[in-house]
Parts: sequence; structure tokens; C-alpha cells
Amino acid sequence: MTETTFLVLLAAYRPNHGYGIMQFIEKKTNGRVVLGAGTLYGAINALIKKKWIVPFGNEADSRKKEYVITDTGKQKAQEELKRMGEVFELASTIIKGERNK
Amino acid sequence: MSKTVFRYFFDFLDGQKKWLNSMAEQGYRLKKCGRLTYTFDECNPNEYEYAVEFIGDKSFSKGQDYRRYLESMGFRTFIKNMNLNFSYGKIKWRPYAKGLGQIATSPGGFNKELLILEKKRDGKPFELHTDVHDKLDTYKTARRAYVWAVLLMLGLVVITFVPGISSVSITVTWAIRAVILFFGILLVIPTVKYSSLVNQLKEESKTFE
Repeated sequence: MTETTFLVLLAAYRPNHGYGIMQFIEKKTNGRVVLGAGTLYGAINALIKKKWIVPFGNEADSRKKEYVITDTGKQKAQEELKRMGEVFELASTIIKGERNK
Repeated sequence: MSKTVFRYFFDFLDGQKKWLNSMAEQGYRLKKCGRLTYTFDECNPNEYEYAVEFIGDKSFSKGQDYRRYLESMGFRTFIKNMNLNFSYGKIKWRPYAKGLGQIATSPGGFNKELLILEKKRDGKPFELHTDVHDKLDTYKTARRAYVWAVLLMLGLVVITFVPGISSVSITVTWAIRAVILFFGILLVIPTVKYSSLVNQLKEESKTFE
């Protein structure tokens, strides 16, 4: 999973619209990740296609359309967290080991 | 006061974007655009900033959806044509597009291949595509449109060599070929540019996500 995908998934744990997702990501990464609107649009649509997020409520006006994570999405996010945890462990061991030499 | 400028871009993405931004630097804000014209209102220099998105690969409804989405993100949008085809009641095949986007109709998605976006200049870069993979997709789509245009030009030149295809004199035939070749070269320049960008991004995508 790309970082963009993962961050969008995390932003959708609560119903959120496009602009809200973008702000969430910028705020939570302290401005390290600022998604372009086009990239975000692609990510949202790809996640809907995979059914990891779904439109929330029945707002017909796409200007206010909100999205929320599904159970499949949550499961994928957990798997990603586990994978990242493993990478983190490995990297910590090696990089710290190098420093302590 | 309004100002109208006639302009057509063969480099419809970056070239057009640069020009619109240079106009904005001089204090002109886009008011509307026609097939070959841009009308500007005066504003403070550097007040606005522009970007150009290619949506010719999308079906009409998907293009509309994208436009509404971008407006919800706070951008002002303008529809712009990529081709110079004045027609009404027509269906066109777009070989470079995906799925339903391959069929463009007029009225409909034809002549609405581009979206010009405007935002207030806020010091942050106006980048719509920030992820390497997404950038790669964007430039690949643009390159595909150019490659087809170049192929079309080549096809036209080939047709002029078919014996008995037209009754015009040799001189006129060569003049036609020269014109086609001229436009062909204008189209080759952005093709090469986007190709090299695609290759750079491909390299980058091997290391970064």
C-alpha cells in the first residue's frame, strides 16, 4: 500500500469529505505530506473501487460528499500497520546496532 | 478593464499553464476562455495562480464529476478545448482515452479536454499531482494523446502519397505535406518532453512511492 493510500484510509476512520481528508493528512503529518487535489481524487476513487471506503450518507451533491472506511478497509489498514511494525522493528534493530558499534 | 488575447497552445499542459501564470504575474485574472481566446480582468499582480489538467481521457460524466470535486476543493474552474475543431452534433473516437472516454460527443465531452484551475496565490506550490505514481499516470496520459496526434499527422502525409487520391497539382500537394509536417513537428516537441518526464518518473518510482 502506498503512503498516500494508507493516509487516506486513516483519514476516513471518521466520515470525511475531500477537503477534510486533505487537511487531516497535512495536519497529522505536520505538513510533511501535502496531497495534490488530483492525487487525492485518484486515491479516493481507487479506494471506492476496492470497497475499502464508501460514500457516507446519501448526499447527492458531490461538493459535500463524505467517505468512510469499510470493514475491509479497516482490515487492510490493520495488515498495513502490522507490516509497517515489522519494517520498523527490523530498521530499528539494524540502525541502532550500527550506531552502538 | 477586460483584455482579450488570441492564443493556441500545442503544449497544452505546461505551456498553457506557464503563460496563464505569467499573465497573472502581470495582473491579469482569467475571466473566460473560448476556443482561441482568453479574456482577462485586471487584478493585483501575483494574486492568482493557474494549473491545467487534462481530462480528455475521461468520459463526459467522469470529467464533470472531477470538475465538481475540484470546485469543492476551492478552485475556480474553466473548461478548455484541446483541439481546434468547430463542429456540432458529432461523435469522435479518442484512441488515447480509457473506457467510455474513448467516445466523445459534441455537445458533450468533445472540445472540453482541459480544465484550467485557478486559486489564490498562497505561497504553496500549485501541484495537483504529488504522488510519483499519480504523476506518472498523468504524464503518460498526456503523452498518449500527443503520440496519437503525431501518428495522425504521419497518416495524413502517407495518404497524400496514395496515387490518384486528389486532383491538385504536385506543388499544392507538397505545400500540403509541408503544412502537415510543420504541425507534426509542433506536436513532436511536447511528445518528446513528456516522454522524458515519464522516463524520469519511472526511474524515481523505483525508489520512492
